[in-house]
Amino acid sequence: MTRPGADVVLDARDMEPPEPMVRTMEALDSLGPSETLLVLLPREPYPLYRALAVNGFAWQTERRPDGTVEVLIRHQAQ
Amino acid sequence: MQALLSFEQAPPLAAPLRFFLTAPLFAILAALLLLWTGPELFASRWTPAALALTHLITVGFMLQVMLGAMLQILPVVAGANLTRPLAVATLVHVAIALGALLLAAAFLSYQPLAFTLAAALVGSGVGLFVVAAGRSLFGVPSSDPTIRGLKTALVGLSVTVCLGMLLATALGGSITLPLLQLTAIHLGWGLIGWSSVLLAAVAYVVVPMFQMTPAYPEWFAGRFSWAVLTLLSAWSAADALAWTRSAIWLAAAAVLAVAVFAALTLQLQRRSRRARVDATQRYWSVAMLCTLAACTLWLAAGSLPGFAERREWPLVCGVLALFGGLMSVTIGMLYKIVPFLVWSHLQNLGGGRVIAPNMNKVIAAGRINGQMYAHFVALALLLGAALWPPWFARPAGLALLTANAWLLYNLLGAMSFYRRHRLAIEATMPNAASSR
Repeated sequence: MTRPGADVVLDARDMEPPEPMVRTMEALDSLGPSETLLVLLPREPYPLYRALAVNGFAWQTERRPDGTVEVLIRHQAQ
Repeated sequence: MQALLSFEQAPPLAAPLRFFLTAPLFAILAALLLLWTGPELFASRWTPAALALTHLITVGFMLQVMLGAMLQILPVVAGANLTRPLAVATLVHVAIALGALLLAAAFLSYQPLAFTLAAALVGSGVGLFVVAAGRSLFGVPSSDPTIRGLKTALVGLSVTVCLGMLLATALGGSITLPLLQLTAIHLGWGLIGWSSVLLAAVAYVVVPMFQMTPAYPEWFAGRFSWAVLTLLSAWSAADALAWTRSAIWLAAAAVLAVAVFAALTLQLQRRSRRARVDATQRYWSVAMLCTLAACTLWLAAGSLPGFAERREWPLVCGVLALFGGLMSVTIGMLYKIVPFLVWSHLQNLGGGRVIAPNMNKVIAAGRINGQMYAHFVALALLLGAALWPPWFARPAGLALLTANAWLLYNLLGAMSFYRRHRLAIEATMPNAASSR
């Protein structure tokens, strides 16, 4: 189902905005330096990307055949 | 510490809000016009007061909310950022607000100068917006139906406004044109090519997002905007060339496409996973039912003998499409957009150290529901007024006034909520004051 290596998975597909954003930010607060967070969303989260860039996170986005957008987030290498 | 949201590229709160706060004022003016004119307004769709009222609603209310919402939506759903959003918003807003006022005055007075100035103002305001939004969308690949729909809607808006400027110039006496024929094309592009295409493009994102429904089917979302654009272009050409039969069929196909959108949306709403139906969802349902009714009526008028000659049908159809369909959905969306904007700006201002209050508290549900019922009463009375003007025209005016004063009150309430919490944040974090 999910990509291997994600330490925390947040399935935000059934959440009403702005909950996915709030929950992602909360999860990032407690994300360890070498840990990864995988967020599952129903669409591409443009505002999240900007927030990630500002806060020093790196991310990779993939689209599943069912339309789910997977965003794998980790701390940016110093 | 909670991570920081970034809105450095998103437009400042003041950019979209000016459009949202002035829109109800135009609906209030429309209501005052109806109270002042009374039943005469509904004598036909061509009375000066009916034309002035239509444009107070379409340009003064709907166009303003739609452009304000687009300023906000472009960066969020398409990742398209406008250059200098506040400057664009200020100029577009002033031009359109003044243009809408002058246009209404022009219809009421038939002063050529008013028509010319209104055309110049609305034309330049919309022109500036289309150029700014078009530039921001230019580099964005048309990878999904929403982005394609937003681009198509800008084409629809441009055609609508160009035709409107042409009509205003003709009414100002500068040129002679087939007014009735051009009005029909102007109206078709405004209601379908701009409004319905934009609505559908936004619906693909917001209906599943806020109403927890399945996605729109690909066979529809992938084709709607270009199908409608093609049909409208072909219809306009056929109409101009006096190919009457082809024109009728092409127009009917475009109306049918809108009816399919409304029916699909209602079907998706039935599969909503939300535990409780909120005001936005109700507003959408009523809007889609009214759109279906307007489409059915339009198709019936074209095919049933004797129906098309009746005075009432264009008025009922207009009330259903404008007040029932577009105004309902617009207000419903405002109740999502404004609280979200307030919440996100507070969240940003709090810098992660002060958590923004719950989005649902920005405008209390009771106030939203009250305003919604006032709007539905106004809608019912306006329909009554289209059928029996002497009985219902003034009560409809009063109800429209109430519903929009209430809307303004709710939006101003959201503003004072923002100010209150902003002051609280600034009190806890003295350096937040300088950040925005």
